[in-house]
Amino acid sequence: MRIIGPDELVFGVDNLDASTAFLTDYGLTSAGDGRFEALDKTAITLRAKDDADLPPPLPTASLLRLTIWGVEDQATLDAIEAELGTDRPVIKDDSGMLRCKDDAGFEIAFRISHRVKLDLPAELINSPGAAPGRAMNAIGANQDAEAKPRTLSHIVYFVPDMDLMANFYIDRLGFVVTDKFTNTGPFLRPQANNDHHVLFMIQTPAYMQGIEHLAFHMQGPTELMLAGSRMVQKGYESFWGPGRHKFGSNWFWYFSSPLGTHVEYDADMDMHDGAWIEREVPMDKEAAQLFLFENVEKWAPGGPPPAGGTKAGTAPEGP
Amino acid sequence: MTAAMQAVCALADIPDGGSRGIWPNARGQHQAFVVRQGGQVYGYVNNCPHYDRARLGWKKDAFLNGPGDRIMCASHGALFRITDGKCEIGPCIGQSLRPIAVRVREGHVFTEPPH
Repeated sequence: MRIIGPDELVFGVDNLDASTAFLTDYGLTSAGDGRFEALDKTAITLRAKDDADLPPPLPTASLLRLTIWGVEDQATLDAIEAELGTDRPVIKDDSGMLRCKDDAGFEIAFRISHRVKLDLPAELINSPGAAPGRAMNAIGANQDAEAKPRTLSHIVYFVPDMDLMANFYIDRLGFVVTDKFTNTGPFLRPQANNDHHVLFMIQTPAYMQGIEHLAFHMQGPTELMLAGSRMVQKGYESFWGPGRHKFGSNWFWYFSSPLGTHVEYDADMDMHDGAWIEREVPMDKEAAQLFLFENVEKWAPGGPPPAGGTKAGTAPEGP
Repeated sequence: MTAAMQAVCALADIPDGGSRGIWPNARGQHQAFVVRQGGQVYGYVNNCPHYDRARLGWKKDAFLNGPGDRIMCASHGALFRITDGKCEIGPCIGQSLRPIAVRVREGHVFTEPPH
């Protein structure tokens, strides 16, 4: 089945103003009607918690109300409708979008992806021994770069039965396991996406079920650092990062949010195809990251001027 | 008032019905926060019982849900009662924030250090 990845996540919040400010400062663009888009039109949508049009909430603290998956074509939608229609109600709305629940009880939907194809440069680097990545005189450090999220990358859920949930996506929707943390959960990618993961889950008690985090891809590590630094400067709470994960290799920087979930910037994730053989390790802090930095206030090395007031080696002033 | 208590801000520095981070460490991260309801001020260590070392707010001085009737952890949306710090819904349901002693005197807020 040609599923691409998460297309749009819909939240029901009690703090629309704060959530709007957060998503705007994070770098998404308001497209009206509560939708905040990345460059390729994947999106987060905000609704009031009591909006009657929203699917019902989970009985937990989670504010995520709907995960919309994007697929390549109508044939995939038809295949999903036929497959899931065998054992649950699948509702088709006027736009052709399919809605149902997954086996963990999350509200999900499927539609032909709203993504637009991006044609943008990667982060370009110069490396000894390799051809220059940037043209002569092209500058790498641009304080004023836009640093906008490019596309919705992945979603991570807290789920009480990770095997039940993972098997639904694997057996019924054709997702592939790329790697696995023992007793925590598998990293999954759908068939129309080579990204290391678009879906991950963490096994928890039932009262925790919900969204753990969502992430958007940035151009590269420099844009990730730039965007994250701007969030810190605006007073937002950095939760974890910046750093680089091992599984997936993606750079990460997580922020807490008024949507009651961590919101991550990521960059430079591994891509895999059918030749890849999954790895499995126990989850611990060593396995979770290659390295971890922490943002501190800017400074520069230096020292006080020399005693006497005259710089060593400079000529005395005079006519 | 115990000897360890220190002035952390003026009462007027906390909007009525709002919250404020206090006791910044060397990196400017607030180690505790206070919530004001009229003349009453409640103080808690800024550490969610769900994750070790997880600070609750999502932005400087932002520790409450939208209506301002619960303390919210912005990591996963856990909601705590303002008066006693008990988690009513969320990943740490049944657990409580660690309170710190607070006194309001002559328009100033004093608290013990977070512990």
